[in-house]
Amino acid sequence: MTAPLLEVENLRTRFHTPDGVVRAVDGISFTVREGEIVGLVGESGAGKSVAGASLLRLVEDPGRIVGGEVTFKGETLVGFPDGRAEAGDGSGDDADDRWRDDVLSAEAIRRRIRGREIAIIFQDPMESLNPVFTVGGQLREFIELNRGLTQGRARELAVDMLREVGIPEAEDRYDDYPHEFSGGMRQRVLIAMALACEPSLVIADEPTTALDVTVEGQILELVADLQAKYDTSFLWITHDMGVVAEICDRVNVMYLGEIVEQADVDDLFYDTSHPYTEALLDSIPRPDRPVDELDPIAGIMPEAIEPPDGCRFHTRCPDARAVCTEINPDCRPLDDAGRPHRAACLKHESVFGAGYRESDPIENEAAGGFDVGRTEEGTDD
Amino acid sequence: MNIYRYALRRLLQAVPVVLGIVTITFLLSNAIPGDPVQIMLGPSPSQAEVEAIRARYGLDQPLYVRYVNYLAGLLQGDLGRSIYYGVPVLQKIQERLPATLLLIVSSFGFAIATAVPLGVVSAKRRNDPTDHVARVVSLVGVSTPSFWIGLMMILVFVYHLGWFPATNLVMPWAPPSALPAAETRVDVLLASAHHLFLPTVSLGTLQMAAITRIERSAMLETLSEEYVRLARAYGVSERTILRKHAFRNAQLPVITILGLQITTAIGGAVLTETVFQINGMGTLIVDSIARLDYPTIMGTTVVYGLVFVLGVVVTDISYAYVDPRVTYGEAE
Amino acid sequence: MTVATRRSETDDVVESTPEEPGRSGRTEGRPEGREIEARVGWRYTLREVGRDPTAMAGLLVVGVMTAMAVFATVDAVVFASLARFEVFARVGVRQYWIAETLWVSPIAEPSPRLLPPVGMENQFGRGTWAHPLGTDDRGRDILARIVYGSRIAIQVGIVSTLLGLVGGVLVGAVAGYYGDLVDDALMRAVETLYAIPFLVLVLAVMAAFGRNLTFAILGVGIASIPTFARLIRSRVLSVREADYVEAARAAGVRDRNIIRRHVVPNSFAPVLVQATLQVGYSIIVVAGLSFLGFGAQPPTPSWGQMLSVSKDYMIQNVWFSIWPGLAILVTVVGFNVFGDGLRDALDPRLQNE
Repeated sequence: MTAPLLEVENLRTRFHTPDGVVRAVDGISFTVREGEIVGLVGESGAGKSVAGASLLRLVEDPGRIVGGEVTFKGETLVGFPDGRAEAGDGSGDDADDRWRDDVLSAEAIRRRIRGREIAIIFQDPMESLNPVFTVGGQLREFIELNRGLTQGRARELAVDMLREVGIPEAEDRYDDYPHEFSGGMRQRVLIAMALACEPSLVIADEPTTALDVTVEGQILELVADLQAKYDTSFLWITHDMGVVAEICDRVNVMYLGEIVEQADVDDLFYDTSHPYTEALLDSIPRPDRPVDELDPIAGIMPEAIEPPDGCRFHTRCPDARAVCTEINPDCRPLDDAGRPHRAACLKHESVFGAGYRESDPIENEAAGGFDVGRTEEGTDD
Repeated sequence: MNIYRYALRRLLQAVPVVLGIVTITFLLSNAIPGDPVQIMLGPSPSQAEVEAIRARYGLDQPLYVRYVNYLAGLLQGDLGRSIYYGVPVLQKIQERLPATLLLIVSSFGFAIATAVPLGVVSAKRRNDPTDHVARVVSLVGVSTPSFWIGLMMILVFVYHLGWFPATNLVMPWAPPSALPAAETRVDVLLASAHHLFLPTVSLGTLQMAAITRIERSAMLETLSEEYVRLARAYGVSERTILRKHAFRNAQLPVITILGLQITTAIGGAVLTETVFQINGMGTLIVDSIARLDYPTIMGTTVVYGLVFVLGVVVTDISYAYVDPRVTYGEAE
Repeated sequence: MTVATRRSETDDVVESTPEEPGRSGRTEGRPEGREIEARVGWRYTLREVGRDPTAMAGLLVVGVMTAMAVFATVDAVVFASLARFEVFARVGVRQYWIAETLWVSPIAEPSPRLLPPVGMENQFGRGTWAHPLGTDDRGRDILARIVYGSRIAIQVGIVSTLLGLVGGVLVGAVAGYYGDLVDDALMRAVETLYAIPFLVLVLAVMAAFGRNLTFAILGVGIASIPTFARLIRSRVLSVREADYVEAARAAGVRDRNIIRRHVVPNSFAPVLVQATLQVGYSIIVVAGLSFLGFGAQPPTPSWGQMLSVSKDYMIQNVWFSIWPGLAILVTVVGFNVFGDGLRDALDPRLQNE
């Protein structure tokens, strides 16, 4: 197997706020291979978007990448000198002296990686385009910058791309301003923007969340077609398991800054191995289940300033036991069959061997409120 | 709809405002308690004299007739006759307006030229020493009366250092022969700039400070916009982002403030003219109030209103020019 | 005059408080995984302001100046009224009773003229502790006049702002809430008011009704109506569309009650900020009026009028024209800094500044 296009190792990003340090991304590892669409899934607040931004070193103050390594096509985008993971302070991610010597400089990232190799599509198409410049002009600027084309060629390409993403009368719409486009159309423009720069990887940060369902469907189809045509890899950030099922090849499920399950899309859906993933799946309507089984995830996500000890999900987990409050499991392969299925849950006793089976169930938000008798029983034991 | 028709429409929309200004000033002027005729004729005029004067100025007619007459006169460019100066008000205003406009325009020039870079740098280097200095300067600038700045500058630059003249503004278009030391046009321009410097800074400081504050906060806001993040994500350099992607959007609130500052500047000009003894509209209106010269008071107020309205129309058009979202068609 | 579509409705100072609180995307890149606890409400605002040392310094200045003004008002107004009663007249109570008893009269002329501040010397003599800031052209104590001048400044600033605020809130709320014709008519009127330059308008009012402090206050108050009216109107326009207001309307709540219960409270914060800043601005305007001779009439001390007189004596005694200007500057900076602090506390987006 060839080396993956993108390799993320133990990436950690923090925000230093007046109320405390927020560990938005806390040691995540995953890979994206060529031509793949990889999902990064979780509730809002799980740290998905920050993870996406960290890959391009786009984290803004007061956020900082504080640890881990990101390798892309053999080049290091993020990497820390040994033993100096917390080095430096105050200066943003662009301060080059924070990084290991082989890490690309801020200038190199800007010139060679951003847009050119890794493009990004943001969540809100209404806010992502600059209202005072024409749509075509913005598209052309990025193409010029990242493909080194002349203005005329870039313009032609921009019009072609607009046409390709399904903007009718692309030639005429080129000179229109963003406010003259609908949300769906603007998202198409942003997709055109991303693909026109011919990057190897597109980070799509909830690109369809702000759109209504029919438009979302069209956009997903469009992306699938274009992905097949250009063979671009995608890192698809979303909270929507439906979208994941539709578009992704592999999936990483994030909870409170950590990846809790990692699997091929089919395995994730049919052999769900983490209670959080299960909860996510239960909370969306699925054609193969009656609607009355629809279950919201119990409780609210704890703050990432003070994540719970032990497994971070234990406060909301229906399967939580006493041992879960003590040990925070890492994401381990579940079997040796070569399936790339990993999960971070102690209930896989054969993998973790943490004494889950002997441990007592605990009272938490998932149990409380529904069946008082059971929880009382649980605590009595 | 193109921008010319937009401008025309804005001008037409301004008509009721101008009418409102005329009405308010007319009513206020007629509420002036003193009898202007007595001021003109001294303590004990004969009855015949008084009536002659009243008839001459139309004071013997009822209020609404005078109002209509005044409006009719305005349409023909007739602002009435000054009671004190005895010449048409329009003539007096023509004498005085250029100095005031020169002062206001140059103070805006000074304010924009200093405030925009200051605000941008302040936003870019947020919380750096540069930013702190800029913020203190703008805070003090908006908190200091312009006439006191003028007084202090006269004290330092005129009396102590002797760098600038304090009075006798030279107009840049004055003929060289009118000045003792000037031989060429360049001399006149230099002399004019020399004279204009202190009043300009004195009047422009408030504008400068207000614009700096807005420029800074507008830049900070646009720099945190999603489209700036997008530009960054596509490898656009910080320099280009600052100069192009964020700058243009950030100018929208600045343009708005410029429009609103016109009225402040007009008020400030009255004081600045008093401090620097410039014969402009401001000194004209202050003197006229002292002399109960109500046709002149009305005339100057109406012209001030016109200047303001024109200024606002110009800023609106610039706004529409920068922001494509402003529809030239339907209002609001 | 209606102004182009996207023209901001507010004056410069509240410019950075736009109406869209929850624009999505804005929080991207900020920490996820934290609930934003309620960052609204009075308690929160006060706590935030309390944390901001600059704002507290502003509050201190405002407090000291207000205390000075209250003291001066009591001394001048209360004792002048008491003096009318025979009982007190016999004791010898007059205007500026406290000052004259304890210290030095702001209007009496007992000393050499144009003395410099203590420790300095000029052609008229040496400054003494009797007149720490020196004396004016008529031998009156400058410090006493500065202290008593605060009365005019603060009084005018606050009263005229309240006037403009009440007028502006009424006009703006009605215009914004009813919209259409009412809105058009009222806002046109407001724009007209705005089109007459602030100072010129006040001058015209004074010309019509006399050179009197009351008219100065009235004029400045009226002239500040447009600022508040625009601000309130823009708030109302955004609140009007809110679901809970529609719900209230659907439930048959009367318009007047909707305005009172929903619209006004929702607009309170930016109005408070604007009012604080407006006080500073009004102080400057009234100082300008007094400078032109249209404010409080002599011998009542006011800062603007002191400056006006001082400009003829600048060469002889520089300090005469420095102190009143500094007094204005410090007071207005106090109000502005406090207003800025309030605004920052009310707008979480501007935090970490």
